[in-house]
Amino acid sequence: MRFQFSDEDQRFREECRDWLEDNIPREKRPLNAVDAVDFDRAWQRRLFDAGWAGINWPSEYGGRGLPIVRQVIWLEEYARAHAPWIGSNFVGINHGGPTLILNASEEQKAWHLPRILKGESIWCQGFSEPGAGSDLAGIKTKARIEGDELVVNGSKIWTSYAQVADWQELVLRTEEGSQRHKGLSWVICDMRSPGITVRPIQKISGQTEFAQVFYDDVRIPLANVVGGLGNGWKVAMSTLSFERGTGFIGEQVKLSQDIEELLDSARASGRLGEADIAEQIAQLRAEVFALRAMTYRNISEVARTGQPGPEASVIRLFSSDLRQRIERLAIALAGETVLDFRYGDDDFITDYLLGFAVTIAGGSAQIQRDIIGERLLGLPKSR
Amino acid sequence: MDLTPNEDQLALQGATADWCSDNMPLEQCRARPAGTWRQMGEMGWLDMTGPAMGLDHGTEALIFAELGRFLAPVAALSTAVYRRWTGTEGKAALAIASLQAVRVADPDGASVALGVADGRALLYGLPDALDAAPGLDLSSPLALLPGAAAPQPVQDGRAAAHLRLLAAAYAVGCADAARDMGAAYACTREQFDRPIGWFQSIKHICADMAVRASVARSQLYYAASALDADDASADMHIAAAKRLADQAALENSRANIQIHGGIGMTDEAYPHLCLKRAHLLGFVAKAGREALLQ
Ligand SMILES: Cc1cc2nc3c(=O)[nH]c(=O)nc-3n(C[C@H](O)[C@H](O)[C@H](O)COP(=O)(O)OP(=O)(O)OC[C@H]3O[C@@H](n4cnc5c(N)ncnc54)[C@H](O)[C@@H]3O)c2cc1C
Repeated sequence: MRFQFSDEDQRFREECRDWLEDNIPREKRPLNAVDAVDFDRAWQRRLFDAGWAGINWPSEYGGRGLPIVRQVIWLEEYARAHAPWIGSNFVGINHGGPTLILNASEEQKAWHLPRILKGESIWCQGFSEPGAGSDLAGIKTKARIEGDELVVNGSKIWTSYAQVADWQELVLRTEEGSQRHKGLSWVICDMRSPGITVRPIQKISGQTEFAQVFYDDVRIPLANVVGGLGNGWKVAMSTLSFERGTGFIGEQVKLSQDIEELLDSARASGRLGEADIAEQIAQLRAEVFALRAMTYRNISEVARTGQPGPEASVIRLFSSDLRQRIERLAIALAGETVLDFRYGDDDFITDYLLGFAVTIAGGSAQIQRDIIGERLLGLPKSR
Repeated sequence: MDLTPNEDQLALQGATADWCSDNMPLEQCRARPAGTWRQMGEMGWLDMTGPAMGLDHGTEALIFAELGRFLAPVAALSTAVYRRWTGTEGKAALAIASLQAVRVADPDGASVALGVADGRALLYGLPDALDAAPGLDLSSPLALLPGAAAPQPVQDGRAAAHLRLLAAAYAVGCADAARDMGAAYACTREQFDRPIGWFQSIKHICADMAVRASVARSQLYYAASALDADDASADMHIAAAKRLADQAALENSRANIQIHGGIGMTDEAYPHLCLKRAHLLGFVAKAGREALLQ
């Protein structure tokens, strides 16, 4: 067991650090999705041109084909340098792209993957519906087949970045009368197609970053089905495993930044002298160390076996709870000043409010506990 | 960077678990057969990081977590540290010093006890006849050390960190044991015509046990490899490992009793054995929070 990185990995880390130091955008990333998308595209393009996009993606599709540990090093340095939040490129980079690498045809991969890496394609995720959130198999948005096209009707909701996205990973019921996990397909949908209406929704932090999407006879070529018609459940599960697994490493790394800042500011303000505050910070710091150790352990496992195991749910559940506790402490230390927050502000109070999502989105904490109980501990399935 | 056990380590871990379930089951921890201590020595567990075997702390922590899962005798902790840093043979009982008294766990056949106080590993000479009887932890005979002969510090400063790491490994094992006992019971005990593990309120208690055990084990591996590297951060990471492992052992043990219902309250059933062991481990080489605020 070695927590240290090899000399070559260290050299790679220094390269990352040097480049980030010289190239991080000076201007702050705009708060709202619509304002931020140009920023996100330009930044992603710069990352691509310098060879930092798709570090562990296959080289034939524009990636660098490096081991996953290099991706982790990059993300650590990225957070350390306070580089901008990935924003509207989250879906494409963290789970749309990886799903395509695993399941898509050569043509689909060759067309889409380089565009994702270059920031030319912004993706969004159309899984959840008004009537189907935790129970994803309950989706009703359906498509009938006409010639070589799917014709889609229905609605998706909570679709992050729908208002700015070019493409969508869309899960549809493509078989009339099919039940639950059967008869679903994972489809690449062009968000500019006629018949799509996007209604943005405002969050408790003030941003309008997600939306409800309506489909009225939207035509999608059958060639855009990924992984085969009717195999949507399997493909969607691989998407979720990327979303819950490696997709969150960046967010986890940021937590260690946050707790170090809390420690420094509590020391500077003298509040570290209060026993209960010192105790909370010591506890959170120990847990943040452990989160890094878990991530390293998981990455080592992926490097050894080639895929993330159900342990990803353990990390997800732990890190989302830890994030919320760190943000609660930040709020507690700030005292009455939190009352001055207004929509449009972008600070730790925004993070605190946005942080409520991490135990809801991508499988709620309750669903993660079910997964851990059933898949890791072998308890009887409740559903 | 690699924080998973390699093939050799996995083989050793598997062999340890097999041996323990055959020869040192948790269920018999209140009265180990006379030969157990000798056999543990023969297995090499008390000398792993010494010059003869030359294994690293990563491997040792992995094996001690297995031993901890079976509530193995606690003198293995102090003895491994004693032998490693004093180059002496023999058994060292586990000393737990407070301002008022020095308690000695597992003193049978030991002429010395080792514990950590004020961040240093200390050796206490033991009188010939120490009457030890089970205390709260029914698997660890306990005696009060009479008189106050001044303890001798162990010269090498790493001894204290070593004991802390091994105690954390035992606590990780204890947390695993409680998790597995709880999950197994939740699969078999039926109420309302179904296993109680079907109910989410029980399932989610089990899931939280799995999280705590995994968190603590990950940090244990990281801390062990930091000690192996003699890294400047080792003390801090060992303190984190100890804190999280103690919490996991205690919380999982409590949850396990809850999952067992009435039978969990009985002396005859096993859940309380983990709880009581967890309480004892919490006092072994305690790390103050200062180590985590550096
Ligand atoms: C900020 C944010 C961004 C999102 N972005 C996207 C996106 O881009 N694309 C997309 O498709 N979706 C997205 N989602 C949707 C997200 O995946 C769903 O919110 C999530 O799956 C939960 O579904 P729901 O909101 O319908 O809640 P529900 O499923 O109705 O859950 C409500 C409550 O009931 C609990 N619950 C439900 N079922 C069970 C059960 N079996 N056992 C115990 N408790 C249960 C839940 O844990 C929760 O606490 C986003 C959500 C958020 C908050």
